[in-house]
Amino acid sequence: MNQWLDERLHLSRLNDKFLRKAFPVHHSFFLGEITLFSLIILILTGILLALSYEPSNSLVVNSFDPGTTDAPNLIPAAYHSALKINAMPFGDMLRRIHHWTANIMIAASVIHMMRIYFTGAFKKPREINWWIGMLLLIFAALTAVTGYVLPYDNYAYNTLKVIYGIAASVPWVGEWVAQAAFAGKFPGDGVIPRVYGYHIMLLPGILLALTGAHMLIMIKQKHTQPQYAKRIAYKKIVGVPLMTQQTPIMLLLTFAFAGIIVLFSAFIPVHPVEYFGPPTTTPINNIKPDWYLLWVFGVLAIIPSFELRIFGGLIGSEFVGAILVPTLALLAMFAVPMLDRSKENLYYAENPTNYPVRLGAGVAFMMLLVVWSVAGYKPELISAGILTTANSNTVLWIASFLVPALSYFAVQLIVRGIRSLRESDARDRAAFQAADD
Amino acid sequence: MTRYKRQDPELSRRRFINLAMGTTAAVGGVSLISVLGTANPVFRLTRDKMPPLKGDVLVHASNNKEGQPVKLSELNEQLVRAWPMGKGENGENVIRKGDPNNLVAIYRFPRGQIIQPTNLEATINGEVVAYSDICTHAGCTVADSDTRAGAMKCPCHSGEYDPKRAAVVVGGPPPRGLAQLPIALQGDNLVVTDFFLQMPYPYTSEGEWESFKQEVEEQLA
Ligand code: FES
Repeated sequence: MNQWLDERLHLSRLNDKFLRKAFPVHHSFFLGEITLFSLIILILTGILLALSYEPSNSLVVNSFDPGTTDAPNLIPAAYHSALKINAMPFGDMLRRIHHWTANIMIAASVIHMMRIYFTGAFKKPREINWWIGMLLLIFAALTAVTGYVLPYDNYAYNTLKVIYGIAASVPWVGEWVAQAAFAGKFPGDGVIPRVYGYHIMLLPGILLALTGAHMLIMIKQKHTQPQYAKRIAYKKIVGVPLMTQQTPIMLLLTFAFAGIIVLFSAFIPVHPVEYFGPPTTTPINNIKPDWYLLWVFGVLAIIPSFELRIFGGLIGSEFVGAILVPTLALLAMFAVPMLDRSKENLYYAENPTNYPVRLGAGVAFMMLLVVWSVAGYKPELISAGILTTANSNTVLWIASFLVPALSYFAVQLIVRGIRSLRESDARDRAAFQAADD
Repeated sequence: MTRYKRQDPELSRRRFINLAMGTTAAVGGVSLISVLGTANPVFRLTRDKMPPLKGDVLVHASNNKEGQPVKLSELNEQLVRAWPMGKGENGENVIRKGDPNNLVAIYRFPRGQIIQPTNLEATINGEVVAYSDICTHAGCTVADSDTRAGAMKCPCHSGEYDPKRAAVVVGGPPPRGLAQLPIALQGDNLVVTDFFLQMPYPYTSEGEWESFKQEVEEQLA
C-alpha cells in the first residue's frame, strides 16, 4: 500500500521536503508551536460551540425563567443560547476552554514575538514573516474581541457599545464605518449575525490563511539556528527532524498544554454570563477589555479631553486614544525589520546582550505598554485612594515617559555588568590556561 | 532572465498579463465596494428609537420596575434611571429604548442646591432635574459617584459630572457635559416638555443634532 500511495502522491518527496524539517532544540522555539496548537483547539471547540449557538439578537422567551403570559421574560436569542450551552453537560467547560485558549494563544504569540525580536530573528531574510506575524497578532486580537460579543450578555452589550463608539469616532467617515461594520445604528437588529459572521468565518479564514503562509515561509527559510549550532556544525542546519523525533515532543507538549488549559478551565471561570445577565441599562462597574487590549483602554483613560475640527471632521480624544495611538504603536512594531540594514542573511539567533540598544528599546516599549495597562486601572486606583481624580492623569503621564526611559538605562547598566563579568571570566580562563601550560 | 531583452513592438506578454490583472483588480474592487453598500442597512427611525419627545412620560428603566412611571416620592440624591415612554403609531404605549442612548438620569435635590448653569425652568421646582445618562466620552452609562454623594461618575474612564450644575464635567476625559432634559410635573407623572436642551451623545456637532430633531419632527407631523 505504501508504494501505491507513493506512486500517486509522491509521499517520499513530501517526506524529504517537509517531514524531515529540522527543529532547533531549544525551549524558546516551542512558543510558536503553542500558538499553533491553541489555534487548533480554538477551532475545534469553536465548531462545537457553533453547533449550539444561536446567532441572533431578536428577543425570545427565556425558557429557564419564562415569566408570565402577560409579561414574558424576553431575552436576546444569542444570550438564551449561551445559557443553554452552559446548561449542557460540559457546556460551560467548553466555553471556558475556548476562552482560556484564546487568552493563551495571544500570550504565547506575544512571547513568541518577544523571542523573535530579542534574538534578531526578524532580520533578513525573515522580514516578511515578521510582518505576517504582526498581522496574525492583530487579527487574533480582533477575533478575540468579536468572540467577546457573541454571548450578548450585559458585559458583551456594553463592550459592543464602546467598540461601536470607537469605530464611529473616526473623523469624517466614522458613523458610516460603524454602521457598515455593525449592521446599522447601535444596536442594530442584525448586529449579532454580523459579528457572528466575522467571528466564525471571516476572521478565522484570515487567521488560517496567514498561519499557512507563516509556516510555509518558515519551512522554506528554516528556523534561525540557536547559538550552540554554530559551535557544533558551522553553517549547517542542526536540529531534530519533524518525523519522527520532533513529533513525539510536539505531542507531549500538546497534551501537557491541553491538560493545563482544561485544568485552568475547570477551576477558573471566565465570562460568567449568568452573573452579567441580559443586556440592561445598568452600567457594569469596572468593565475592561482583556489584558492584551488594556493598554489601549489605559490611553483612553488618561488622554485629556479635546475636540479638534478639521474640514468638518471631528478629531476627539476617543479617536486619538483608541485608534491613533494604537496604530502608531503597531506601526512602530511593523517597522522593526526596517531598522536593520544588514545585507547578510541571518543564520544564528543573536545573544540579546550583544545588542544593548535593541534590547533596551524593546524593554522600554514593553514598559510603556505596562504603564498604560496600569492606567487602565485608573478608576480602581482612584477609588483605592492611591491617586486622586486631580492628580491621576499627571502622575500616569509622567510615568509613561519616566518608566520606559529608566528601564532603558537600567538595561544598559545590566548589560554592561554582564559584559564585564563575561570579560573577566574570559580573562580568568586565559590566565588559567596559561598556568596550565 | 535572458541576457538579451527582445524588443517587441507589439504588446509583450508580460504587459498584457499586467494589464489584464489590473483590469480584473479594478473591476473586482469596484464590485466589492458595491457589495459593501449592502453591509450598511437603511436606518428606519421607528418610534422606539426616537429621542425623548414632548409629552413622553418618564418610566423606570431598572429591571424589576421597568415601565412603571417614575414618581416624585421615589426621587432623591441617588440617581434614578428612566426611559421616555411615548405613543406608538396606533396610540399604544412605546418605551423608547430602541436606542440605548435615550437613557435618562433623574435626581432630586433640596431646593436651592441646583444652580446655574442648569436651566432651572426646565426642572421641576428647582428640585428635580433630568439629564441624558450617557457619557459624552465613549457612551458608557453614567452612575452615582462611589466616593461623593450627589455626584456622578462614569465607570469607564472616571469621567465626573456635577448634576447640581448642569452636569458639567468636573473630572476625567469627557469632552462636554451631559445634555439636560426639560421636564415638568403632570399629575403624578414626570413628563418631558421638549427635546434635550443640548446635543446628547452620540452627536458631535449641533448641525447633526438639529437635523436629527428635524427628521423626527417631520416623521411625526
Ligand atoms: S465613557 Fe465615560 S469616561 Fe469614558
